[in-house]
Amino acid sequence: MADTINQAARKGFLVDTARCIGCRSCQVACKQWNKLDADKTANQGTFENPRDLTPALYNRIRFVESAPGEKVSWQFFNERCMHCGDAGCMKVCPSPGALYRTSDGIVVYNKEKCISCKYCISACPFNIPRYGADDKVSKCHLCFDRVVGGMAPACAKACPTETLKFGNRNQLISAATSAKKILYGVDDLNGLGVVYALEGPPEKYGLPDKPSIPLSIFLWKDVIKPLGILGFWGSIGAMLLHYVTIGPKKIEEETGEEGHHDK
Amino acid sequence: MTSRYIDRFSTKERVLHWFVTVTFFSLLLSGLGLYSRLFTGYFNLFGGGHHAITVHKVAGVLFFFSSLALFLHNRSRVTDFNEDDREWVRQRGGYLSTEDVHLRVGKFNAGQKMFAVFIGAATAILGVTGLFIWMPLLFPRWIVQMSLMLHGLMFVGSIMFVVVHVYLATIGNPGTLEAMLWGKVSRAWAKHHHPKWYKEVTGNNP
Amino acid sequence: MTNHWIDFKNSDVILIMGANPAENHPVSFRWIMKAKDAGAKIICVDPRFTRSASKADLYAPLRSGTDIAFLGGLINYILQNKLYFEQYVRDYTNAAYLVSGDFKLPGELAGLFSGYDAKKRSYDVKSWSFRKNADESIIKDPTLKDPNSVFQLLKKHYGRYTPELVSKTTGTPQETLLEVYKLYATTGAPDKAGTSLYAMGWTQHSVGTQNIRAMSIIQLLLGNMGVAGGGINALRGESNVQGSTDHGLLFHILPGYMPVPSADLKDSAAYIEKHTPKTKDPQSANWWGNRNKYLISYLKAIYGAKATKENDFGYSWLPKLDPGMNGSWLMIFDNMIKGKFKGFFAWGQNPACSGSNSNKVRNALAKLDWMVTVNLFDNETASFWKGPGMDPSKVKTEVFFLPAAASFEKEGSITNSGRWAQWRYAAVKPLGQSKPDAEIIHELFQKLKALYTKEGGALPEQLTALTWNYGFKRADGTIKNVDIHAVAKEINGFFIEEVEDKSKLKPGEKPPPPPPPWAPKKLLGKKGELVGGFAQLQADGTTSSGCWIFCQSYNEKGNMMARRVKKDPTGLGMFPEWAWCWPVNRRIIYNRASCDPDGKPFNIKKAVVYWNPAAVLPDGKLGAWVGDVPDGPWPPMANEKEGRKPFIMRADGLAAIFGPGLKDGPFPEHYEPMECPVPENFFSKQMTNPASKVFNDATIKEDVIATCDVRFPYVGTTYRVTEHWQTGVMTRNIPWLLELQPRQFAEISPDLAKEKGISNGDIIEVSSARGKIDAVAMVTPRIRSLKIGERQVHTVGLPWCFGWHTPGVGDAANLLTPTAGDANTMIPETKAFMVGIARKG
Repeated sequence: MADTINQAARKGFLVDTARCIGCRSCQVACKQWNKLDADKTANQGTFENPRDLTPALYNRIRFVESAPGEKVSWQFFNERCMHCGDAGCMKVCPSPGALYRTSDGIVVYNKEKCISCKYCISACPFNIPRYGADDKVSKCHLCFDRVVGGMAPACAKACPTETLKFGNRNQLISAATSAKKILYGVDDLNGLGVVYALEGPPEKYGLPDKPSIPLSIFLWKDVIKPLGILGFWGSIGAMLLHYVTIGPKKIEEETGEEGHHDK
Repeated sequence: MTSRYIDRFSTKERVLHWFVTVTFFSLLLSGLGLYSRLFTGYFNLFGGGHHAITVHKVAGVLFFFSSLALFLHNRSRVTDFNEDDREWVRQRGGYLSTEDVHLRVGKFNAGQKMFAVFIGAATAILGVTGLFIWMPLLFPRWIVQMSLMLHGLMFVGSIMFVVVHVYLATIGNPGTLEAMLWGKVSRAWAKHHHPKWYKEVTGNNP
Repeated sequence: MTNHWIDFKNSDVILIMGANPAENHPVSFRWIMKAKDAGAKIICVDPRFTRSASKADLYAPLRSGTDIAFLGGLINYILQNKLYFEQYVRDYTNAAYLVSGDFKLPGELAGLFSGYDAKKRSYDVKSWSFRKNADESIIKDPTLKDPNSVFQLLKKHYGRYTPELVSKTTGTPQETLLEVYKLYATTGAPDKAGTSLYAMGWTQHSVGTQNIRAMSIIQLLLGNMGVAGGGINALRGESNVQGSTDHGLLFHILPGYMPVPSADLKDSAAYIEKHTPKTKDPQSANWWGNRNKYLISYLKAIYGAKATKENDFGYSWLPKLDPGMNGSWLMIFDNMIKGKFKGFFAWGQNPACSGSNSNKVRNALAKLDWMVTVNLFDNETASFWKGPGMDPSKVKTEVFFLPAAASFEKEGSITNSGRWAQWRYAAVKPLGQSKPDAEIIHELFQKLKALYTKEGGALPEQLTALTWNYGFKRADGTIKNVDIHAVAKEINGFFIEEVEDKSKLKPGEKPPPPPPPWAPKKLLGKKGELVGGFAQLQADGTTSSGCWIFCQSYNEKGNMMARRVKKDPTGLGMFPEWAWCWPVNRRIIYNRASCDPDGKPFNIKKAVVYWNPAAVLPDGKLGAWVGDVPDGPWPPMANEKEGRKPFIMRADGLAAIFGPGLKDGPFPEHYEPMECPVPENFFSKQMTNPASKVFNDATIKEDVIATCDVRFPYVGTTYRVTEHWQTGVMTRNIPWLLELQPRQFAEISPDLAKEKGISNGDIIEVSSARGKIDAVAMVTPRIRSLKIGERQVHTVGLPWCFGWHTPGVGDAANLLTPTAGDANTMIPETKAFMVGIARKG
């Protein structure tokens, strides 16, 4: 299935991390809208909890604490599916309709169609998809069920500080650009659906500097797969060609030893 | 009176071979849909992708062990690459010419040996990478990512080899298939294709 | 709040001190970020680097309990560098007043103000008075140069608060201190506004009231009161705590901030005489001069037809306090543990966790005969008898649990910190047998009334005389369901009789000739109508109002609190037709102080109100205020005849820089917390607040204080976190929230962790002289050790939202806090106390 994207109609997030106060309304609002169970957690000496995305946690705040010298900084990073313009998960998903893109450009999924191959886990540049007890993919789907109804995703609705701004992606980007914000994800992977205005280098937030689909996944899907198909038909073609040009190795029947031959 | 036929493969060997064959083609059919969405239709053979994966996993385990067993069974015969084999390779086994080329071939020619070694290695790689792909959460992401690539690569290699193998074992070399069907080949066939082996089993010069 | 939540966006500098809005009032940060977008600077002063601090342009750490030192230093800085708004200080505050020559400052009296009685632990405030002329008017020096003027005394008092001494006490590095001072003092410019956001970080100290007083002085010096983006803004800790205080939640106030009568005030006349301030200043509106109207209207509201002129409107039925009696929180449990209570209603509260020195609270509950708990969920209080250390077989207290409906299961108003009363509707029906509080009270009332009617008893009229017109009455006079609109209407008030609109006579003015008998009567309201506003309330029993400040909230135009019009004519975010705000929908209190004495706004761009002399009034007169609802319709102060001073709730119309009304001094002075880490107060010989009550009854083993005790060398401080609310009774029962913040932790600095061999995530025991709890150590550079004098002082931060009732979360941080409180309010000192820590296992 070709992954085409209409950049002009694309909806997405602008996550302005400088505005985030780490209140995690987004985490809870998401759970409420999507009727997700709570995860059992333990305090491990940080406010950050759960410590990773889970099948029942589609977005979460990463607490980034640093203290270079006297100056302490505490930053909050909203981690979620980036809704890549070139989505690794969709690229590898073998089940049509399991992972797909809506007309708004959102990468969503249909658990009914998920065949539990888990390829998307490996293909995601950001390690986002999770599989729960149902053995089906789960991740942020930008509340596409709200978005089709003209509403903002639950997390954005709950965000008190407008850290999570939802809307037309191009407009969000141009507004942020004119506000001289340093953006992450504008062009990477054909544009991330979730663009970040960061206060520091991407590594500080645990983001890859230049996100891309993992090389091995690229080789698999974009090199080996087409070449393999070519090779398969090529080898069949070659055999046919051999048969009609050089031909089979027929055995001259020896008459000396055996009295008859049956072919 | 000497028989017109010579025993080539024992019953055990033939069963094992066909077992490997069946599992291989099960893997092929159930895996095609996983390989590319061009072949999604093949999932229908199994009642959907979910079942295809189950078949792929079961067939994978069976193939892994049977194919390895087959390889190990023939290990000594397929790994002794000698001067005659090199000559076979130099002559491309005579397959690129309509002339009869006489080569000193034992039970298996160099091509068969390479095929066996490749399939043996591919089985190992496909098996191990398949396991990683099966349980991606238990292993580091890069291992699973490499596995997905290698699994595809090994599959492509295998299928191409298999195409050649099937051709040469059937219409490419009439009289060959019988060896795997009922275990016997004609003396003429043996003399022609595997003279060294013919001498080994009959004591006669071809 | 003098201002309101949205108004934060109008600030130029926002000082977050004693509060943590990012965590405890996340929605407020919407407006703080809007201010920041517009170029405002955020300052955060806190012992911990909080989520609020993470958004601040300037963060300053300080030792908990040293806010007055910090703020005193700011006052000194403003005065020394002449950064105050002189016109404002001169015209709108009592800076020019001359104080009695007998008055002495703590600098002169070893940390005490004049008039201290060590035995009584209180002040004789005679020397704190102003000098008066023969005609009782106060003597002023508009040049502010007289050494006895408030202004000069202020300068003298805070002259001691040098940056060196402040830094030595607070532990704030001097450069940071001066950076904060410099930045905040910029709001002294007439067109700049600075706002102060505070919460329990300021109030829950033995000097809590004075913390806020100190900031009030700063705001007055800088001219930040009454203006958009200014004010003193208490971020209330519960969505409706403003409403509950407005309606008389506290022991000492009746609805509408009317003092609860003391038993020595025998009749309403005595009450009114005592509580009605007087002024001879023709320019003072002296709004509390209306006290009589509010008291009588209140009595008419609660006793209805039973309140007559003949029985003094039922004044005698009002519950009274013994003279000097204190019924505040700490006293309740102090009396309870001494066996002075039989029964106790723990209504919507969880004192076994929220009460300072919770062990004392829990042991006190065991002394009761019965306790009724009304709550959404079972909790540490309702189940105290099976809590840690309790032997259920030995607890005689009989406990009843009444399940209450949650806020979204009932209709009614809530009043937020910005005084906005907003009507809400029930989203869902109450679950199971739970009922809205009003229904529970209603049933309780009907049962009690029936019992009193049948059996009599002491003062049955207190109940039997109450009006209870809260719904459709059945034949037997009972009401099945409470109509909450009826309650809201009673709070607003009715015209009980037809009330004529008699124009008020100015002194010396002749009454107009009586109108001819055929002329239609000019009425304020007909009998039975809802009162339109508190200016219409009468002292003769012809009007009622359950809470005068809410008069207008539900009038003949409808339920004003239910309004949802999103119009913002000033652009300042006041949204006058969104809900309703007391008083009379005034969004910024003392807004006339935002203009000069001619009524011209100090900041034209953010004019809350301005005087338009050309406006034509209905009666043909010229001149009116435009913008927010002004503090009274009178012209600005420059109009000598009719003009009024802006601070209308003060008898003299001026804001009090010198505040003789508090128990512990007219100016805030730094004292150490009742339990503190240092052996000396660097400011004076007086260690702790001399007017705070000391709980040292030897029979009560829970009441111990351990200052400079080697076992408890670290400053403990409690706080809330975003993820849980109060003691967590609601939030600990929501798995989603427990997921975010699963158990009790203690924030400590890397220095302290190293010293004690503690790693991040270790389980530690935190102990005080009163109790101990287990916590997960959160080792973080966000907490830092501070240099106080010659010692390094560490802080241990503890959230107080956990309790034993939820498995695995740990017990309450308030097991550690002391029974010690503020001199004025007796709010417990839970923000600064001493603890020790040790790694477990």
